Amino acid sequence: MNRDVRLLLSQVRYDQRAFWRNRTAAFFTFLLPVMFLVIFALLNGNRLVPFGGAQVPFLTLFVPGILAFGIVGTTFSNLAISIAGLRQTGVLKRVQGTPLPRWVYLGGLIGSAVLTTLEFSLLVLVLGRIAYGVQPRLATAPALVLMIVLGTAAMSALGLAISSIIPNGDAAPAVTNAIVLPLSFFSGVWFPTDEAPKALRLIAATFPLQPLAHGLQHAFLPSAAAPGLTLFDTGRLAVWVAVGVLAALRWFRWTQRG
Amino acid sequence: MAVIEVRGLGKSYGGTQAVRDVSFEVAEGEVFALLGPNGAGKTTATEILEGYRSRSAGEVSVLGHDPATGGRAFRSRIGIVLQSCGIVEELTVAETVAMYGSYYPRPRPTAQLIELVELEEKTSARIRTLSGGQRRRLDLALALVGDPDLIFLDEPTTGFDPAARRSAWRTIHNLCALGKTVFLTTHFMDEAQELANRVAVIAAGEIVATGTPADLGGRGSAPAAITFTLPMGTPVADLPAIADAEIAIAGNDVTFVTNAPVASAYRLTGWALDHGIELEHFAVTQPSLEDVYLRLTGDADQVTAR
Repeated sequence: MNRDVRLLLSQVRYDQRAFWRNRTAAFFTFLLPVMFLVIFALLNGNRLVPFGGAQVPFLTLFVPGILAFGIVGTTFSNLAISIAGLRQTGVLKRVQGTPLPRWVYLGGLIGSAVLTTLEFSLLVLVLGRIAYGVQPRLATAPALVLMIVLGTAAMSALGLAISSIIPNGDAAPAVTNAIVLPLSFFSGVWFPTDEAPKALRLIAATFPLQPLAHGLQHAFLPSAAAPGLTLFDTGRLAVWVAVGVLAALRWFRWTQRG
Repeated sequence: MAVIEVRGLGKSYGGTQAVRDVSFEVAEGEVFALLGPNGAGKTTATEILEGYRSRSAGEVSVLGHDPATGGRAFRSRIGIVLQSCGIVEELTVAETVAMYGSYYPRPRPTAQLIELVELEEKTSARIRTLSGGQRRRLDLALALVGDPDLIFLDEPTTGFDPAARRSAWRTIHNLCALGKTVFLTTHFMDEAQELANRVAVIAAGEIVATGTPADLGGRGSAPAAITFTLPMGTPVADLPAIADAEIAIAGNDVTFVTNAPVASAYRLTGWALDHGIELEHFAVTQPSLEDVYLRLTGDADQVTAR
């Protein structure tokens, strides 16, 4: 195997190890969304709620909603917070002084975040199936996979980009929460927004969480036709991937400003 | 062959000139210390040599590479200890050394390095459980893990207690025994004196003196000072006349500045013995490296205060 690819895989392993050993990070990015799933499922039961002009059981929307929310946590928040910390404490500077290519180091961080996303997605899908009897059908599985892939790509890139405007590691969780939490309410993660004011829905639609959540929810609908894709969601998410990558290339910094 | 060659190096940020026309060479196997007060341009110059910063003017060759473009081949041959630099807190000492080792073509064995920096007991401890001193020793291990030919040490013992400094100095002496070239920055004169073969003093972005610690700034040939305290009741006027020596008196404290310290001391002690007078605190001193450094870096107030 190519030496750099081997190095990349070993970086992913080290970063995964460090992630799981950091209890705070593991709890907030991984366990907390699962707790929310269990708690809100208990509180709301499975009554019918309005979604896209039909009445849909709550859990059919909430399981994919939490999936979208969790993906934002394991990629966007996770990368933004950890990179802001690595930059502030000088880990990035130390790595720059070694022969390790920069792309391998960043690739390791992103690879580890992607791995965490896959682990999280698997857990939510299994939990949804076993505990709540909610699952996408084989016919709509392509949409589910594509949404997870596009969502992970867009959110990872945006996490890298935003890490550069976070002044220091301590401020990082506050910054990402201030962005992610309000958006999650507008974007139909916790409850469908069909009956929300139009302005609010318009605002949500301009950010990437709404198409991710909506696309995943659509793939879970029993009535969705194969392959379960909605062009509007897929298109917007694809644009966000491009925006994220460009923003990361433009703004990502290795060193602390000032 | 010179390991580091710097000619006419300059760096300006906006309108300010942080480093101006700096030139020096460091030979293979040498310990070279760059001395200077904070803000003198030490870190800027060092970071240009390490490849962290670009330069505005001049030529720089480190191990035959231009650090600005040297890339992987260059970085494989250097080791850097930065002043304060984070490590991922959740990995263990052994994992961290092995991980950084994997970045280099010929890494040194993990266990051997951990032993070298005396961290054996912490081998499987997480980084976050290490003390400040242990972290600094790990920093050194990470700088050495690629078996570099040239090692940059940026103020390696700042914040150390005296015992830890001695131990760090021993480790650095060991590096020299291995034939490594060491580029050191420090503002501790005793550290430069102890470790460096050659010293350059930088002040306000310019090199103001270069030499061995023993004769930096004409220190080797500078006049010596003979100091002592006369006992109560012995008038200063009773002191013997000494040719070519300047006398300074403050109360009972007497200082002779002389170019012939041996002859002058002989004359003084002979006089004291003949008259049964005890010369308390009798000492003959050359100007210290610190005196020279303070004079060179323009901190005249501190020289007279000493």
